[in-house]
Amino acid sequence: MEPQTNGLATAEKYYNQYGSRAKDLKESGKKVIGYLSALGPVEILTAAGVIPLRLKGNVSEAITKGDAYMETVVCPFVRNVFDAAVKGRYDFLDGMVLPHQCDSIDRTNDVWSDVLKLPYWHFLNVPHVTDDPSIEFMKEILRVFIGTLEKFTGTTITDEAIAQAVKAHNENRRLMRELYALRTANPPLISGTEMMKVLVAAMSLPVQESSALIESVTKEVKERPSSKDMRKRIMIIGDQIDDVAVIEAIEGAGAWLVMDDLSIGSKMYWQDVDATQDPVQGIAERYLRKLKIPTTYVADGNNYEENLEARFGHMKKYIDEFKVDGVILFIYKYCDPYGFEVPAVKSFIESTGASVLYLEDEYSTSALPRAKTRIEAFLEMIA
Amino acid sequence: MAEDKKPRALATQAAGKIPKFVRGSLSATLKAKEEGKKVAYAYIADGQDEIMRAMDIVPAWGESFAGVCAAKRDAEKFLQKAEADNFSRSLCTYATCTIGFDMMREELNGEPVPGAPWGGMARPDMILGSGQLLCDPRFKWPQATQHYIPDVPVFVGNMYYPPFDPKLDHKDQEKFYVKYAADELRELVKFCEKVTGKKMDWDRLAALTELSDKTWDLFIDTYELRKAIPTPMDTGDAMNTMVPFTFNLATQEAYDFYKDLYDELQQKIADKKGVVEDEKYRILWGAGLPSWFALGDFQYFNNKGAVFPVEVTYRGGEKIERLDLPKTNDPLEHIAWRWVRYWTHWYDKARKRPGSIPKVERIIEYIEDYKCDGVVFHSAFSCRSWHAGIIHQANTLKKVYGDIPVLIMEGDIVDISSYNEADTHNRIDAFIETLDAAKKRKG
Repeated sequence: MEPQTNGLATAEKYYNQYGSRAKDLKESGKKVIGYLSALGPVEILTAAGVIPLRLKGNVSEAITKGDAYMETVVCPFVRNVFDAAVKGRYDFLDGMVLPHQCDSIDRTNDVWSDVLKLPYWHFLNVPHVTDDPSIEFMKEILRVFIGTLEKFTGTTITDEAIAQAVKAHNENRRLMRELYALRTANPPLISGTEMMKVLVAAMSLPVQESSALIESVTKEVKERPSSKDMRKRIMIIGDQIDDVAVIEAIEGAGAWLVMDDLSIGSKMYWQDVDATQDPVQGIAERYLRKLKIPTTYVADGNNYEENLEARFGHMKKYIDEFKVDGVILFIYKYCDPYGFEVPAVKSFIESTGASVLYLEDEYSTSALPRAKTRIEAFLEMIA
Repeated sequence: MAEDKKPRALATQAAGKIPKFVRGSLSATLKAKEEGKKVAYAYIADGQDEIMRAMDIVPAWGESFAGVCAAKRDAEKFLQKAEADNFSRSLCTYATCTIGFDMMREELNGEPVPGAPWGGMARPDMILGSGQLLCDPRFKWPQATQHYIPDVPVFVGNMYYPPFDPKLDHKDQEKFYVKYAADELRELVKFCEKVTGKKMDWDRLAALTELSDKTWDLFIDTYELRKAIPTPMDTGDAMNTMVPFTFNLATQEAYDFYKDLYDELQQKIADKKGVVEDEKYRILWGAGLPSWFALGDFQYFNNKGAVFPVEVTYRGGEKIERLDLPKTNDPLEHIAWRWVRYWTHWYDKARKRPGSIPKVERIIEYIEDYKCDGVVFHSAFSCRSWHAGIIHQANTLKKVYGDIPVLIMEGDIVDISSYNEADTHNRIDAFIETLDAAKKRKG
């Protein structure tokens, strides 16, 4: 593959035409499998020779068809993506894998599969607990998943192929972390808005192309003249925020978004899969024990304080490393996993000295003006 | 001050005993310390009942306390307390109600909260959660609670069952699901032994598991008496009579309660005494937790000649023989098999009817067995676990079974702010008209 030279423009293109590369590859004969959430085991999809496509919705588009099938008490992100799928945005998919992240996914599995009627469908029953029996169980369900993919693709997914895919995705994560590191500079070498476009584009591409894109962006960003625009430095925490609207609200109000703990951002890229003799073991451990997501119950510490450190300690590190002045907790309405930990995460971060703004919102720009006002007030407060 | 609410008229004497039952369970948590027993915050349908009872752990059920607060229309102060610490109103209100109560009790150094319905719950010695396919709050709620009582240890185990996939035979996966559930229950036993300082009495556990099986059988035998026309008991009662099965499983009191209820229903059938004098419409409560503050709505249905002889909600058991459980001498493995087979035993039927899903097969089975004319669902805004997927169940039912009147009511389980009695009754009136028209069409 030829090295790319126009990374930011390419990211912008794939951000604006989300899924277009997967669609092209489909037309050339590849199979495309969509998935939701950071729990999508991309290594296995890559090893199966299919194109993994993380699904997103459109925050600027009202839900007009999905509500005929799915309740409004469901996570607004899940509803929006489903609505997009019902409207045909993902008609080119050969199938989907829904990892069991939360009730909004688990309880709507039938709705997705019955309404979309894609040729391939799999619900990956990821546990919430991380003890040793859970790892063994996770390996079992990954093997069931591999079996269904083998049947669907007509190919055997060898351990060697999985090990190769693990390497490719670990390299992809390493490259993304390298790009993130450019945000530790003051001012950051890449804005939050640009970074969001890269993150979104990266999750829509086959792993090798995604890696090439990230490398290209890193090179381009390093080479461009540095800015002297010093601003307050913000970190955002949430699940799938995959649009620049919120980021523009933050940066438009005079701050830099320098770090995230988002499910399409650092949550995806900070932890590698260990190379293990049985490659499924490393994948099970990464998705169950290493990923820092609120749907995984973590309680390895000897007391509550130690458990808080295990759950949120990485955020403290990000605050130090990326010199964060303020943190925005951006939580979707109707989200029990994130919503129930707001008091704990808020007080944990505040104990570091950083200020926290908690926003409960929709996956929609319709409510953004209200959030924008609160963001502006927050930035004034920490100025 | 809680608003006074006229209690719903009860059709069975057994249902009338339930408030005493619930109050007894709550006060047992308050007396436990004097009796040298440990109290556990516990959550229903977690498969942990026999273990708790065998170790003399007194369960303090969050859903029960929140339900009582809601039924007494006295939950708002707890909801507001939780909201003040940034718990969203869109989260499970069972959880936010009890967390608000916990916050108040901690501000009083663990002393009882004045004015808490029926004295409230005792400060627990442990919290027993469960990660599962049923409900995220079952593991997030314990974690969120611990934020306010950080010295109280928490256990969260995982209890899964194979998901339905028409292209896969779930029986191929059963064994590793059962092994996993049994392993997790073993972890729970270890945790309870550590907190209580007592060893599990495995013979007692086996005996209590057997008692639970007998209670499952009797519960279903009793509820199946409701197939009679006119039905001797409806869902308005069942939202009360579910209490022993849901909160007191693995106790003799629960078994004895259903024995009394069984006898009472048999007598009603012999006397041809129905819930209403002129039973016109039979309705299935298809899914959803009720609005505990508006149980009087069942009476409103009854006043229109409509009865609910059956409900999906809280019917968390089945005749053991219908589950065809493999023999085992390990009570934990038995509980695991019962769990997995209970949740999957409509799968084969669903596979045989193209386009169907297990939840709809269950609904169809009840419509036919109980001769129902329509289905009512309730969608609560703060609960995804029961209430996401209801529209799909209604759509699928119509598609695979035929046109049957369906009403989806909207509200909440605890938060009364979502409820409008006049609107609800208008919707019920319209539904009754639909039922009437459908019955006339059928002749």
